[in-house]
Amino acid sequence: DIDGVGHKYYLELELEDVLDKGRTVSCTAEVLYHLGSKSTAPDVQATVQGELRSTEEADKEFYNRVRSLPKELVAENIPDSHGNVPPELEPIHLLAWAASGYVTWQNSTESTKFHLAQVKHVKQVKRSDEDLQFDYVLLLHEMVSQEVLPWEVTVLWHPQRGARVSRERRQPGHA
Amino acid sequence: ANMKLILIFSALIGASLCLETFVGHQVLRIKTKNEEEVKQLQLLESLEHLELDFWINPSAPALPVDVRIPAASVQSVKAFLESQGIEYSIMIEDLQDVLDKEQQDMAESAQRQRSSSFDFGAYHTLDDINNELDHLASEYSFVEKIQIGESYEKRPLYVLKFSTGGSKRPAIWLDAGIHSREWVTQASALWIANKIASDYGTDASITSLLDNMDLFLLPVANPDGFVYTHTTNRMWRKTRSKIPGSICVGVDPNRNWDAGFGGPGASNKPCSESYHGPSANSEVEVKSVVDFIKNHGNFKAFLTLHSYSQLLMYPYGYKCTRPDDYAELESLGRAAASSIRSLYGTTFQVGTICKTIYQASGGSIDWSYDNGIKYSFAFELRDTGRYGFLLPANQIIPAAKETWLGLKKIMEHVQ
Repeated sequence: DIDGVGHKYYLELELEDVLDKGRTVSCTAEVLYHLGSKSTAPDVQATVQGELRSTEEADKEFYNRVRSLPKELVAENIPDSHGNVPPELEPIHLLAWAASGYVTWQNSTESTKFHLAQVKHVKQVKRSDEDLQFDYVLLLHEMVSQEVLPWEVTVLWHPQRGARVSRERRQPGHA
Repeated sequence: ANMKLILIFSALIGASLCLETFVGHQVLRIKTKNEEEVKQLQLLESLEHLELDFWINPSAPALPVDVRIPAASVQSVKAFLESQGIEYSIMIEDLQDVLDKEQQDMAESAQRQRSSSFDFGAYHTLDDINNELDHLASEYSFVEKIQIGESYEKRPLYVLKFSTGGSKRPAIWLDAGIHSREWVTQASALWIANKIASDYGTDASITSLLDNMDLFLLPVANPDGFVYTHTTNRMWRKTRSKIPGSICVGVDPNRNWDAGFGGPGASNKPCSESYHGPSANSEVEVKSVVDFIKNHGNFKAFLTLHSYSQLLMYPYGYKCTRPDDYAELESLGRAAASSIRSLYGTTFQVGTICKTIYQASGGSIDWSYDNGIKYSFAFELRDTGRYGFLLPANQIIPAAKETWLGLKKIMEHVQ
């Protein structure tokens, strides 16, 4: 408890690579939830101890594959109702996970717990620069309220520059 | 133009071959722009030696034409279409690949099926599940399918009664799918039903259990919601009851029980996913279970399956104080979690609902506990968020197996 400021948490985490199970890396983080503010994202400082696996090969392959598609990539329901993800869409799914992490951070309070429930829709938008752009509609499951919230997220990605969320907003209207 | 046509047709005639497999066969979708193009395709259709197999025949310009082309004719047919300016796309690059994959899928599926032709490692519709309940009841003399009520939309609420005799023996209650989007629970309940039925007489623990107690299993506690997840919205959680004065539909059936009803952890807003409903037991799906259990009067355990989060919880949810039997329930919970972990290393956290997940009023195990059923536990099955509600079907059986070990541990203690 920091009087007049908020609540600070000191975390020691072990990160496991979902694509390389058995490989873990330590991480320390400090998270500060601001007092009373529901509209400011918590402050986060994180340090990873050790190295993350290199994904250069796979990144390049994905980048080239998408760039050479004759038409813009469009997909929906990833995973499908039965939990299936077609192999060629797995990178799109993983990118959605990364983006949902950012959205979760921006919209978290001490009483929320978000998970990505499903990629409802994704559409690639061709760009004149070197980035790939994907406009997603993500379904975020919030554990405390049990709501499943549609969220519009625009993600830019480049093999060297990595992923950036350029726009995110809760989809207006009631399901 | 006519000369050109004759030349191309000759080339096509020359290219026809007789094949036994579908290696290299392509399926094209052709989009015709006018009557003229349709006529061209009908001409093509008439060339029998090409052995073209039209899946959708050319009839009108507005409709697509799908055609399977043997390997040897593929190039010439495409050349023909291109020369006539007729647009097409490749629907299937190599038909044999598709057929091989289908055979593989079917072989794998057939392997999974034993005496029953029901695939426990796949997700099923309500009709398929109900058929399997009939099958189990007909195959095993000690298994009976009973109806304890009807859902809001008038679907039967079917319970499997496992009883080897006696008269109103002490009983165990197990339900799944009260929240319809939690598909691994209905699927696991089916596997568990089959496991218990088929292992009675050979497995010492199950045999002893059913020789002394009865088991009542409700695999689909919320059939209306379940159908809705198949037809309309995979993420639907609540019942499908109409709420007077609101455009929103449905009540959270696990906030509708008469245990701290309307208290913290439930919403009074009809559009909320945790809406408790206009009054306790307002939902027929809940009332039917309450009435059944009260009328029976001899239940010793009340167990309910949810997903996801991998938790094993006991009361209370509506208040954050410990139940009187805290020590025993905590110890039994830990033992059950330990059994679960022994199979695949899956870890379940144990504790009261309030401490483990959140404060939630109107929950089923709080009601059962406060009504004298000491061994009241709620399971949250796999996973912890990677797939969440959309757990891949290949995890159904592992999830069911590990959960069964936990349930068995509790049932053995109850005896």
